[in-house]
Amino acid sequence: MRILTNAILALGLATASQAHAITVFACEPEWASLTRTLLPEATVQSATTHLQDPHHIEARPSLIAKLRRADFAICTGAELEAGWLPMLQDRAGNPKVQSGRPSMFFAAEHVDLIDPFKGMITPLSGDVHAYGNPHVHADPRRVLQVARALALRLGTVFPEKKSQVDQNLIRFESEMGAKIVVWEQQARALKGRAVVTQHASFGYLWPWLGMKSIADLEPKPGMPPTATHLDKVLTQAKAQQPIGIIVALHHDPKPARWLANSLGMQSRLLILPATVTDEQPGGIVRWFDQVFMQLSSLSK
Amino acid sequence: MSRNFILSSCLAIVMASSVATSHAQSAVSAPNWQAGVVLDAAATSRGLELGARDKGLGLGHSDLLLRGAFNEHFSGEAILGFHTEAKKLEGHIEKAWVQTRSLPHGFQARAGRFASQIGYLNELHPHTDDFTERPLLYRGFLGRHWYDDGIRLNWTAPTSFYLRLGAEIFGGKKLVPEATTDSTSRVSTLNLKMGNDIGKSSSWQWGLSHVNNRREALVEAHDASTEAHSHAASFSGKRMWISDLVWKWAPDGNNRNQQLRLNWEYAQVSGINRFADSSMRHRASSLGAVWKFNPAWEAGVRTDWLRVHKPEDHEGDLEFGRGRLKENAIMVAYKPTHMQTLRLQLTQQRASGANDEGEAVFANPARRSIQLQYVIGFGAHGAHSY
Repeated sequence: MRILTNAILALGLATASQAHAITVFACEPEWASLTRTLLPEATVQSATTHLQDPHHIEARPSLIAKLRRADFAICTGAELEAGWLPMLQDRAGNPKVQSGRPSMFFAAEHVDLIDPFKGMITPLSGDVHAYGNPHVHADPRRVLQVARALALRLGTVFPEKKSQVDQNLIRFESEMGAKIVVWEQQARALKGRAVVTQHASFGYLWPWLGMKSIADLEPKPGMPPTATHLDKVLTQAKAQQPIGIIVALHHDPKPARWLANSLGMQSRLLILPATVTDEQPGGIVRWFDQVFMQLSSLSK
Repeated sequence: MSRNFILSSCLAIVMASSVATSHAQSAVSAPNWQAGVVLDAAATSRGLELGARDKGLGLGHSDLLLRGAFNEHFSGEAILGFHTEAKKLEGHIEKAWVQTRSLPHGFQARAGRFASQIGYLNELHPHTDDFTERPLLYRGFLGRHWYDDGIRLNWTAPTSFYLRLGAEIFGGKKLVPEATTDSTSRVSTLNLKMGNDIGKSSSWQWGLSHVNNRREALVEAHDASTEAHSHAASFSGKRMWISDLVWKWAPDGNNRNQQLRLNWEYAQVSGINRFADSSMRHRASSLGAVWKFNPAWEAGVRTDWLRVHKPEDHEGDLEFGRGRLKENAIMVAYKPTHMQTLRLQLTQQRASGANDEGEAVFANPARRSIQLQYVIGFGAHGAHSY
């Protein structure tokens, strides 16, 4: 027992004294990309990829190990990671990334959320997010707000990097600002048009572009599509003539395919990555480019 | 504990949790305290040998939970567990602990009442289990879910893979309520956990634990009627080793739509009793596989065995009856949301072995038992632990 304790102490002290580059843990790839944009020299690891549903992640051993070594963590918050981040924080034994600490950053705290859940949450309400839609990265204007807050926070936590982060923020702001004008123009023909969606993954796009999501393939948030519900969606879609069906790459594609076939609009089914596919700096801009290229195909 | 007390506490917590959710706009990401209730109801065609569920309709391991952070240095959790036993509602304080959140260098300490971190399943909430009853290993050696009063020190290594070393010291009264040794004897554990990903799609975790149990169980008189459901270890010994391995696979790591989970655990108990032959061992093993084939559906199989030497007091003479129990289970579960599970399970048991008088050690194996289980959660739902 004593030998073990001594060994643990020795190992712990030895590892603590090693100097290292700034290590950042990002819950989702969009925040990994944003962090790299502002602080390119940081070692950034994303806990999830665009192929995974961010609600359904397990607190895997590899993620605990990643969070254990992080100097800074960035997540969405607003309960998106409620099923796994608290467990990672609890297991990692890393004081820096505990909620409430400056080096634990939650993006959703810095923007207004759409569609907060009204009423009483019961087990039958589905996996609702009481605070509102957490998928804020689908609105580039909110991404800019997050970027500004993140730059401020990085500057506080790593004062020696402040001037570099601020410069990168200015560059990012002007790039995104110019791009937002382009995207809004690309989407002008889509204004007032209706789409069928699955989950609120792209929920922030529709109010921004003046589009409407008339039906959700999920009967309740987070609940996989059921046959009876799909029938209802089919009736709704026939009546309201959507221009497309949009689901995320991490969703089971079968229900969306069934609906597209039933409506004879196979070519108008878009299966899009719900977030950036490239975690490098500028990944967010390239993801929006990709989304808009596909969306504008619907206006034809 | 009275039924009214538990029901009214449930109600209070549910109400508190819904109020907390609707008024906590300022704390979008970190509500300080969370409350929740989980109810686990099941209909069982036949109770299992070493099982927790009675024949008929009953409430399984249900609980009322409160957890959160006191300040930047400490977090805590309290769980009031309740279930029905012989048609009566029983309650107990299952967890009440405080843990550090600001110790440096990967250290964490915990004190209070909590579940030991030995094995794979022990520290997980039973209502997240894939089968209606815990494996024979847990039912035989750990009273299904061993929680106790004690302290813990863990160290998580700053390595690229997960490595955790831990030590716990418990009073041990929950594992061995009545000991022949003096009441200050304790039960301590040492454990190692490691794990990592293999590529994008699979991950693993391996654990090795040792339990040093200074509390020698009082041997029951041969004709003593055993309690229907013991919450303590049915079979114990001075030393126990447990090895547990978990391997999970999901296409591109997206366990939303499909996932395969394999779990193997093995335990060996030695030093059964001071009068027992030193080579005598209790042994148990469990191997399970669960396949999530659709976002809302899972199917699973599990095969368990348990081999024990049951000490019995025959008018002053200590005798050891050899008992063997095998159990196979298949289940299918429907999980429409995080908060609900509906499970149908078929379990078969076979027993062999008897004491010197020819009486079976496991007298009531269920040749076939069908269980229909429904688990529903209100308020804060448990995190997806690995």
